[in-house]
Amino acid sequence: MLRLLKVTGNSLTPRFQTGDFVIVSKIPFFFAPVKAGDVVAFHQPGYGTLIKLVESLDPVSGELTVTGTQPESVDSRVFGPVKKSALLGKVIWHVAKPR
Amino acid sequence: MIYKLFQAIDQTLGIQQAKAHCDVPCGIYDPIVAQISALTVVRMIDLMTDLEGKGGEKNKEYFNSMARYVAVKEEHAEKAKAEIRVIWGDFLKAQHLEKHPDTHALVHKIMQLGSKSRQAVDREAAVQFVEAINEFAQIFWEAKGVATKRAKAPYAPALELVYPAL
Repeated sequence: MLRLLKVTGNSLTPRFQTGDFVIVSKIPFFFAPVKAGDVVAFHQPGYGTLIKLVESLDPVSGELTVTGTQPESVDSRVFGPVKKSALLGKVIWHVAKPR
Repeated sequence: MIYKLFQAIDQTLGIQQAKAHCDVPCGIYDPIVAQISALTVVRMIDLMTDLEGKGGEKNKEYFNSMARYVAVKEEHAEKAKAEIRVIWGDFLKAQHLEKHPDTHALVHKIMQLGSKSRQAVDREAAVQFVEAINEFAQIFWEAKGVATKRAKAPYAPALELVYPAL
């Protein structure tokens, strides 16, 4: 139900940076569906476990368009929409690396 | 405290990574290639006009030069379009587009002017192509937080280009 993950990469800077820890969970989805603005972790074939910002949700297919906060982010522009079944959870706790 | 606890867990047990993945190398985008390519299109039209204006026999030398000018015009119009598409698709993000809502229309205009520059020998359209890409360059540098200046290109055709004011 809860999963502890370590962030690597720069596509969500400055909000999330390499070395930060996050706890993700599917529990919030029992109370409210995933929505634009959520930060989610998911499994993407060929890339592994990714953490991205939800940009939009297709009302028909339920697939998510995910993005980063940096122009160079590799996201749905590169690998297309993300299926809900690939979601590992929503970020419910963020522990930033001391800077 | 909590961070140190998680760090200790990571060091002993290893915590799964969630990648906030970026392209490598990050951030190497510049509209100058598109600007110079569009300028080259204008230059080729000028050379074609000069060659035609010289009159004389339409011999193999003439056709050879004209064919080369046309080939370079074709190549550079397409190159400019490709460069703009990459910056538009890969670099510009929703927040940039919110600030410049006319960007999509501008990119479409660039694509059409680029095609017109290939299809015809139309200097006016080619100059508009340069200017539309200048407008795009202005948006790009603003998105990067870099001030710009306009200056004449130091080579023919000496049209104005938008440069970063570094």
